[in-house]
Amino acid sequence: MNTTYLPSDYLPIFIQLVLALGFIVGSMIVSHNIGPKRHSEKKDDPFECGIPVKGDARTPISIKYFLIAILFVLFDVEVIFLYPWAVNFKGLGMEGFIEMILFMGLLLAGFYYILRKGVLKWE
Amino acid sequence: MLPIILLSVFGIVLLFLGFLKTRAVLLPAALLFILIALGAGFLEWNKSYLYFGDMLLINNLAILFSTIVLISAFMVVALSGDFLEDEMAQPAEYYAILLFSIVGAMMMIGYENLIMLFVGVEILSVSMYILTGSDKRNLRSNEAALKYFLMGSFATGFMLFGMALLYGAVGSFTLTDIKSYILLSHGRPSLLLYMGELLVLIGMLFKVSAAPFHFWTPDVYEGAPTLFTAFMSTVVKTAGFAALLQLLSVSFSAIYGFWWVILAAITALTLLAGNLTAVYQNSFKRMMAYSSISHAGYLLIGLAALGQQSRSALVFYSLAYSLATISAFGILLLVAKQHTTDGRPDESYSAFNGLSRNNPLLAFVLAVSMLSLAGIPLTAGFWGKFMLFSAAVDRGMVWILILAVLMSAVGIYYYFRVVIAMYFREGQAGRIRVAPFYQFILIAATALTIILGIVPGLFQNIM
Repeated sequence: MNTTYLPSDYLPIFIQLVLALGFIVGSMIVSHNIGPKRHSEKKDDPFECGIPVKGDARTPISIKYFLIAILFVLFDVEVIFLYPWAVNFKGLGMEGFIEMILFMGLLLAGFYYILRKGVLKWE
Repeated sequence: MLPIILLSVFGIVLLFLGFLKTRAVLLPAALLFILIALGAGFLEWNKSYLYFGDMLLINNLAILFSTIVLISAFMVVALSGDFLEDEMAQPAEYYAILLFSIVGAMMMIGYENLIMLFVGVEILSVSMYILTGSDKRNLRSNEAALKYFLMGSFATGFMLFGMALLYGAVGSFTLTDIKSYILLSHGRPSLLLYMGELLVLIGMLFKVSAAPFHFWTPDVYEGAPTLFTAFMSTVVKTAGFAALLQLLSVSFSAIYGFWWVILAAITALTLLAGNLTAVYQNSFKRMMAYSSISHAGYLLIGLAALGQQSRSALVFYSLAYSLATISAFGILLLVAKQHTTDGRPDESYSAFNGLSRNNPLLAFVLAVSMLSLAGIPLTAGFWGKFMLFSAAVDRGMVWILILAVLMSAVGIYYYFRVVIAMYFREGQAGRIRVAPFYQFILIAATALTIILGIVPGLFQNIM
């Protein structure tokens, strides 16, 4: 197999890049220029499911949403470790099993900590 | 290696101890855990082992640096009695994060593989970001945490990119592989190696707040709760310099000619920036932040003049600096509580006016720590500076030596301002009540500073 690459070997990638960028920029310029523009109060209003706009978007949101979201990401990513472990379970043997028990133990300790702290209590 | 595992487990245990009804058990438990880790570290004394698939190297130097980190952490935790009374504080979490951050510091001290360095830096830094912002209702604390986080992650990005380039040049992350790559390259290593080294250095120099990467330091140190400022300015600095020493002495000593000029320039800049700006400060805490920058400059001399003496000089200086800094912050914690301006503790120089009248012990402790930081003879700080300077003489770096001595003279000016305030100014400071254990820690730090100042040979025998 060829292991050394000259800059010219990357030409197809470069052409692809130029085409992709060119399409976006080009279509934006064309659509801005050929489309008709009519401004009115109704038309410039932000549209939200047909409901009239009320207030400001910058309202304080309960920290609980954030906590739940971040916990979801945390546990989701940690559970992903189970997949490669399960695929290689036989190869890893007893040592891998003990390591995974340790990992799950730490994870569950964290879960218990969250429960005791009342993070998942909604009301 | 044992302390790392122990401290990780103890951290989790502390989190769960926080669920107990009484908070009184937390402080003794945290102190006990740190002591156990300290003892466990010495089990590996005089044995040099590689752990975790050549990831971690524990030798005597690593144990000495870890000991300094653990002693600093022990003292900081011992001074933290206030948390237990504060309703809003979360002492269990603070202690747990402190223990986890020591784990990070120990990884930085004993790493053999750059991956381990990165993991250690991240554990330590993320813990510090949290602790900086732990005073949640204080706007300054929030600002400091956000600033530290944004700039710190930017610097970590530099470091990671540098490691990637080093891997690109060498094909391995281990320090000894980098060393043998340089030796086998017949003096013409790949350009990637130089760039990688520089970027890793930038990331690490940011963490130890060397100029021109020091701009975050004053704001972060001032905004963070005083106790965590003490932790940051001792543990993070010690671990950072241990990591730099490891990197430069193991991997890059063969291309000393390339990097010493850069480090010497940064040293000079750090000394100038730290000392000259410290003169203009009115807040004691902010002065301590600039003083920590200037001490980073003195420690950098030991790296720029890397040689036989550097190791023991860096260890000794870190110890002297940590002892003096923690006792200074310990006194600041007590004094600042007495006066409040706008509901915030008063951390200016004037808060110390007339302290010696009713609190001779506290004034003496602070005076000794200031003398040690200024490098006056009969204190540990003097010998620390002496050893670093003689390392510079060995390398023939006279100009940097002259600059460092001049800057120490500047340092005497701002360190003595607080001494003058305590002994010669009139003030209405009443008697300050100090808990017995708190007092014991302050006295022990002061005694150690003086003992190391009179018989520095005690320490050199251990090395």
